[in-house]
Amino acid sequence: MKVERIQFERTGGFAGIRFAADFKPEDLPDEQSKELFDLLDDLDFNELPEQMMDENTPDSFTYSITVKTKRKSHTVVTGDASAPEKMQELLQLLNRIARNQMRKQ
Amino acid sequence: MHKHFPVNCIVPPHMLEDIATNGTAAQKVLAINTLKASAQMVGKRRALSDFTGAALRVAVGGKERIIYDAKNGSSLPGTQVRKEGDPPSTDVAVNEAYDGSGATYDLFKEFYQRNSIDNNGMRLDSTVHYQKGYDNAFWDGEQMVYGDGDENLPINERLFNRFTIAIDVIGHELTHGVTQYEAKLTYSQQPGALNESMSDVFGSLVKQYTLGQTADQADWIIGAGLLTSNVNGVGIRSMKAPGTAYDDPVLGKDPQPAHMKDYVNTVSDNGGVHINSGIPNHAFYVAALEIGGNAWLKAGQIWYVTLRDKLTSSSKFQDCANLTYQTAGELFGTGSLEQQAVKNGWAAVGLGVEGGNGEPTEPGDGCFTSLLRAIGAAPAK
Repeated sequence: MKVERIQFERTGGFAGIRFAADFKPEDLPDEQSKELFDLLDDLDFNELPEQMMDENTPDSFTYSITVKTKRKSHTVVTGDASAPEKMQELLQLLNRIARNQMRKQ
Repeated sequence: MHKHFPVNCIVPPHMLEDIATNGTAAQKVLAINTLKASAQMVGKRRALSDFTGAALRVAVGGKERIIYDAKNGSSLPGTQVRKEGDPPSTDVAVNEAYDGSGATYDLFKEFYQRNSIDNNGMRLDSTVHYQKGYDNAFWDGEQMVYGDGDENLPINERLFNRFTIAIDVIGHELTHGVTQYEAKLTYSQQPGALNESMSDVFGSLVKQYTLGQTADQADWIIGAGLLTSNVNGVGIRSMKAPGTAYDDPVLGKDPQPAHMKDYVNTVSDNGGVHINSGIPNHAFYVAALEIGGNAWLKAGQIWYVTLRDKLTSSSKFQDCANLTYQTAGELFGTGSLEQQAVKNGWAAVGLGVEGGNGEPTEPGDGCFTSLLRAIGAAPAK
């Protein structure tokens, strides 16, 4: 199923500064959208639980990722200590995309 | 060869917890390993943090630090690179984590008679070089974790330096550990913002103590040096003037309020714990400046005793105002200059103090509204 839209938000952290991105993958450079799809596939994103939150970890980031297709929208909320190891690369990529969007605004 | 410890098999969890808290060093380590192993099996790793630190990191009596290197991965704690007494490393982040945690230990020990995070000699573990491009530091319930900022981006795009660069960040993270063992302030809404504020207060005091500054000499900036020259800002937060630390096209503007009338209601950031902490931060600053001298001596003592003995997990700003005022009276005398300074500190952020542990008021709910409510001229809560 084709991914139509991705929303990402990073909140909390020592600085408490919000990073966010809302984009269509088709608007990304080809290389970056391929990397993104590969990571989502690898994680089997739609099967991930909606909540994978840190407990008792002051200053860690909270991440919210929503992946939308024509028929479905799936949101995962997670934190630094509870995100699976495999998810770290995805979080880093979304972070870079968010930062680029914020810079352009 | 596989060793078989009876404690692994037959001792019930509550007894293991007792051993982990009260046993000898060797017993503690054994009991805690068993508890951790079983907790991991049922996915409760974090639930044990109240006593795992003490048991796992039982020190031989004093300051004991270990610095680990995550080598840009996310596995904790990583590879041990420096332990207590070792000569400096060639890695500046390792040395900053070592020196900063040492200075924090010294401040709490020398002036507040506290022996480490748990007041029982808990070993201070820090991990540096966490992940790649990780612009953050956090306390994971057991140890400190530091990223290198956005070192993986081109220089002209970098916003954050390595997080060990600012000693108050190190003091901040360690104080989260102290709070975890004392008031246990819930990390949400006002108790969460108080948790954050306590970390900023003692983080700033560690810096002032290291620099030998008096309250009027200190910059009261949290995270000075953390932002690169690409950012228009002097740090992450200002206790002196909350809301003025940065104003930048990419990062936006420092959102901290300095007064209850500007309290920010939000679901983001655990209910704005890093935002509304500006209010109690500023109260501390005003009190410390009025008391004068080295802020860690009197103002710090008042806040520390309040954190240790009086605040609870659900305490709000009004509770903190009342209890710091009460503590100041107990430590320095009713009506003393110090107690008056604490009262003035809270007044500066819009909170009057009450003699006892009065009912906390809601954000923006001032004394006048409370008075109206008391005489029936305003709706009850």
